[in-house]
Amino acid sequence: MLRLHYNLEKISMGMVAAIIVVASIGGIVEIAPLFTIDETVEIPDDLRPHTPLELAGREIYIREGCYACHSQMVRSLADELDRYGPYSLAAESAYDHPMLWGSKRTGPDLARLGGKYSDDWHVAHLIDPRAVVPASIMPAYPWLTGSLDTSLLQDSLAVLARLGVPYDDEMIAAALADAAAQSRPESDGAEDLRARYGEDVPVSAFDGNPSHLSEMDALVAYLQSLGRLTNAAYEGLAEEDGS
Amino acid sequence: MTGTLTLRERQVALALAVLLAVLGLVMAGAARQGVMALHGVMAIALGLGLAFRIGGTLDDPAPPRDRLTRYDDGPTRFGIIMTLIWAIIGMGVGVWVAALLYWPEATPLVPWTSFGRLRPVHTTGIIFGFGGNALIATSFHVLQRTSRARLADSLSPWIVLLGFNLFCAWAVTGYLLGSTQSKEYAEAEWYADLWLVVIWVLYFVLYIRTLARRIEPHIYVANWYYMAFILVVAMLHIVNNLAMPVRWSAPESFPIWAGVQDAMVQWWYGHNAVAFFLTAGFLGMLYYFLPVRSGRPIWSYRLSIVSFWGIVFFYIWVGSHHLHYTALPFWAQTLGMTFSVMLLVPSWASAGNAIATLNGAWHKVRDDATLRFMFVAAVFYGLSTFEGSFLAIRPVNSLSHYTDWTVGHVHSGTLGWVAMIVFGAIYTLVPQLSGREHMVSPRAVEWHFWLAVTGTLVYVVALWNAGITQGLMWRAYDENGALSYSFLESVQAMAPYYLLRTIGGALFLTGAVICAWNCRATMRAAQGEATDRPLAVQPAE
Amino acid sequence: MPETTDPKQLPGADPHTGNRLIDPVSGYDTTGHDWGGITELNTAFPKIVIWALVLSFGYSVIAWILLPAWPYGGDYTRGLLKRDQQVQAAEGFRDLEAGRQDWMTRFASEDPAELQADAALMQTALPAARRLFDDNCAACHGAGGTGGPGFPVLADETWLWSSAPETLVEILRYGINSDHPDTFYGEMPAFDWMERSERAALSTFVVALQDGSADFDSDAGALFTENCASCHGDDGAGGLEVGAPALTDAAVIYGQDHATVMETLRHGRAGVMPSWEGRLSDAEITLLALYVAQLSEAAQP
Ligand code: HEC
Ligand code: HEC
Ligand code: HEC
Ligand code: HEM
Ligand code: HEM
Ligand SMILES: [Ca+2]
Ligand SMILES: [Ca+2]
Ligand SMILES: [Cu+2]
Repeated sequence: MLRLHYNLEKISMGMVAAIIVVASIGGIVEIAPLFTIDETVEIPDDLRPHTPLELAGREIYIREGCYACHSQMVRSLADELDRYGPYSLAAESAYDHPMLWGSKRTGPDLARLGGKYSDDWHVAHLIDPRAVVPASIMPAYPWLTGSLDTSLLQDSLAVLARLGVPYDDEMIAAALADAAAQSRPESDGAEDLRARYGEDVPVSAFDGNPSHLSEMDALVAYLQSLGRLTNAAYEGLAEEDGS
Repeated sequence: MTGTLTLRERQVALALAVLLAVLGLVMAGAARQGVMALHGVMAIALGLGLAFRIGGTLDDPAPPRDRLTRYDDGPTRFGIIMTLIWAIIGMGVGVWVAALLYWPEATPLVPWTSFGRLRPVHTTGIIFGFGGNALIATSFHVLQRTSRARLADSLSPWIVLLGFNLFCAWAVTGYLLGSTQSKEYAEAEWYADLWLVVIWVLYFVLYIRTLARRIEPHIYVANWYYMAFILVVAMLHIVNNLAMPVRWSAPESFPIWAGVQDAMVQWWYGHNAVAFFLTAGFLGMLYYFLPVRSGRPIWSYRLSIVSFWGIVFFYIWVGSHHLHYTALPFWAQTLGMTFSVMLLVPSWASAGNAIATLNGAWHKVRDDATLRFMFVAAVFYGLSTFEGSFLAIRPVNSLSHYTDWTVGHVHSGTLGWVAMIVFGAIYTLVPQLSGREHMVSPRAVEWHFWLAVTGTLVYVVALWNAGITQGLMWRAYDENGALSYSFLESVQAMAPYYLLRTIGGALFLTGAVICAWNCRATMRAAQGEATDRPLAVQPAE
Repeated sequence: MPETTDPKQLPGADPHTGNRLIDPVSGYDTTGHDWGGITELNTAFPKIVIWALVLSFGYSVIAWILLPAWPYGGDYTRGLLKRDQQVQAAEGFRDLEAGRQDWMTRFASEDPAELQADAALMQTALPAARRLFDDNCAACHGAGGTGGPGFPVLADETWLWSSAPETLVEILRYGINSDHPDTFYGEMPAFDWMERSERAALSTFVVALQDGSADFDSDAGALFTENCASCHGDDGAGGLEVGAPALTDAAVIYGQDHATVMETLRHGRAGVMPSWEGRLSDAEITLLALYVAQLSEAAQP
């Protein structure tokens, strides 16, 4: 062995090749099977992708770095189930490019946030967290009341569709209309949106002003969708409970 | 910078500088507005700045004929300066970000000062800016000295350094303006990622070409580590950053990976950014500067072999320890856990090899702050790898994950190990490159050492307490079987630790500022160049 | 490692060590290479490293045998223990629930009023209730139920709907103006059809209601009786049937200053209290309702 290495050390391309081979094994063994073992991700029937408005909100969540403080992954630990709700399933982030599981909980987990608070609360909290939670150390985001830039929205859906997210042509074509409609409860577009994405999609004047499509609308729509794209986590836990 | 370039090389450099400006123009023109346009403008500015600088020297005298009989230390010197600049930026932002967690109202209500945007500025600025420049700069030095050969050509080291720093600048300005892919330690957008690939390939080619000129038939251990760093980082970077831009003219993109596969790829990358950026490269540094400074041979060649291949092989498996109890399948978590435990052996073998190398030089460790930096680095390397392997055990991780314990671990590795070894290397290099015996102020080095050690200890001890408190509070049950604490109570409990961390960080930063001043003063008081000469006969370029 | 001090006995003393040098300090031999002054000792591989490797490998093999570990093709080894982290978590959670069965489950099945009367039980449940409140309700209603802008104070004597524990339970379960099909529904209509001057008069009147100085015989008083009393009660003390708040006290949802009341009158209000069914268990909901009732009681003189 020593002799082998002794000779290898003299050949720079030999070292290069050896390093590449040795450093590839682990990754291949751990990553490739995640695509081939079916039970890794079991897509439930009721799973829907994010609506265009929620998707825009997700981009804002990424832009502001919320993931630096908030996880979106309830771990399979009893106390986390107790505090946050059912553990997260792989399927729940199956359409997330990229995933936002996070690695630090300076603030609480957000995986089960959707529906926990009202839109008004989110708006107040994002504009000034300490106005509603005096002990909070979360930054304020008053600039989110500005207009939402939708110029890339349609292309975004198209790209995600190419990456395997189930957006059909109609959804892509209607991306802008759907984004506006979701924040205008009284409009006709709201019905079309629900026809495309499901009856449970929350339609609301998220920031309280239906006539202005703001970044706040998008972010709150996204926050309200967390954990609500499928019911599988709740059903799965109920089943485990029954067994 | 241009003094060592031949006329022909200056012409090529001029052409490349103009090309960079044109690339910037294309970017800015295509994007028209926003981050990508700004980045185009930055490229134009750099390209034009270089073009003028080089253009002005076209008529200057040709370099001395014997230039090829000297080592090419200009790039190393520049790399050290950039290391120090990024150290102050990265650590300064680190201290600021730490302060924000204690004092959230301190943020002015403008987007780019927000915690979520500044945090990746800290991590990228410090890992890539500070760590990366230190690695590239020292790798040029180590490569030449251990090969006894001059760098294979005079232009590509500059391209690598300037291109790499452009990447870093693009990345951090992008985050400030809200352009990020959100993948930890790989947040930069697709075009910056692509740019880095190009730079990295150049770096690798330069490395291999120079290595090919070495006179000793054997490749020294330090170079194994630098090669592993270059190669594996390239592999990780490319796979993790595969993404589809929304438009060629816009910075936004979507990574091709999603959900659980994305998580695994991300932490396969993320952990090995630790392993091959923050560890392998710096082990290369350690393996060179420690024996040089202590004047002792490496304690065991055989141990070097085992620890090197152990590190290269085991590290790659362990990324899944960042995903314990998540939706990642259990089997992958088991592999991550077990390989992390096995990884401890080669890690401690390297740390032990370094410390045993000091046998016979302990009096120097006592007297020489520079050597002490390296000794402390080796000790913290041992500590943080032990801690890491411990944290990777699932039940332990169930407590530590998501808490500040992780951040404490991170900084015992980065402050105690990475930064200390860099400072040790810098204090060895700067006087040598300035043709001097010592730094201008050896006392400042001593001060720096104690500030750094105190800062690290305050930071790390505070965050161990913070993290363990947090983890215990989250899972504490009272005698009636109900959760004891609300989440907010755990946030409130962190305040004293966050304050302490800020103080520890400020001490560390102060040391770094002193270092930068001392290095500047030493470089200004240079009494010549490095006196050692390559042995290899240089082929004409 | 004493045996390594004798160079002849070095296990790897093969030709590659060439023109060996002996390191004067340690007495070990070097590998003979020299990289710009750096040399290496040929120190034998320390046995302890081999043992450590064997030990950590042994640990790993045991883990691989017991736990799910190695993927192959479309499946993976399950391990002898047949562990599944999700089943384990669910079991752990069931155990937690079993641990608080003797008191928690009573909140799911028994009559709220009787539970409320059981002081010992309430004492046991109090810390749990406080934690649940802080994690779920305090964001809106403030720690201790002190309310916040747009969110009602709970620690006071007035209620929007009812002080009956049964109703409180229902409010928590279904929410107010929430997306639950059985939600309570309470809307303050917009009076934008009124003249601005009338709204201003009404607003002055409402502000005055607080300190009892309002004059019901004035024009504004007439407007109030005509338009508002149906919900807020003849004297403005709240009408518990429609969830309209009392306007005669200082505990307000939105703020009882002129500007805020004008805003309320112009645009109307429909505050949302989320529904907690599904998120919290039945027992937790009842517990919280009783906790809220207690907050209110504690606040009363
Ligand atoms: C500096 C860290 C930090 C950042 C960055 C941050 N948060 Fe928070 N967040 C917190 C803390 C601490 C809390 C708990 C206190 C509170 O409720 O404000 C919190 C609470 C929350 C909550 C309430 C969760 C619950 O269940 O009670 C939401 C929703 C939230 N944050 C969303 C966001 C969004 C969206 C962003 C980005 C735009 C963000 N946060 C950025 C620290 C942060
Ligand atoms: C998103 C914010 C929000 C959260 C979270 C919230 N509430 Fe409320 N709650 C409200 C609002 C708003 C109202 C008043 C509804 C209205 O305006 O008619 C209300 C009303 C109530 C009432 C009726 C008050 C009265 O005076 O009659 C009770 C009781 C109550 N909440 C209890 C709770 C409890 C217990 C929780 C936690 C499980 C909780 N709330 C969580 C917003 C919230
Ligand atoms: C259909 C029933 C109804 C009528 C008629 C009505 N209100 Fe209200 N009012 C409500 C309800 C329900 C709320 C609580 C809304 C909420 O919580 O979001 C409310 C809230 C208010 C508030 C806010 C109280 C606070 O705590 O901040 C004021 C002020 C008010 N009403 C005044 C009036 C006046 C003045 C009129 C007559 C012009 C009037 N209301 C007519 C149902 C009514
Ligand atoms: C002046 C000294 C420093 C201070 C005050 C500091 C402070 C911080 C803070 C406040 C965070 C964010 C933690 C959180 O989100 O809770 C952080 C994260 C981080 N820092 Fe530092 N830092 C310092 C030096 C360094 C150095 C020298 C390095 C690397 C060489 C480094 C690498 C990192 C990394 C990798 C993270 C991310 C950790 C994670 O995601 O878990 N830091 N630092
Ligand atoms: C044997 C070596 C090591 C092992 C097994 C190891 C293991 C771990 C583990 C288990 C975590 C926590 C993951 C989580 O719960 O989220 C972690 C985080 C981290 N470690 Fe280590 N560690 C090692 C050495 C190091 C060293 C030497 C450094 C720095 C130089 C380092 C830097 C980091 C960073 C930056 C993170 C934070 C990642 C993130 O969440 O962003 N580690 N490591
Ligand atoms: Ca992290
Ligand atoms: Ca990237
Ligand atoms: Cu790791």
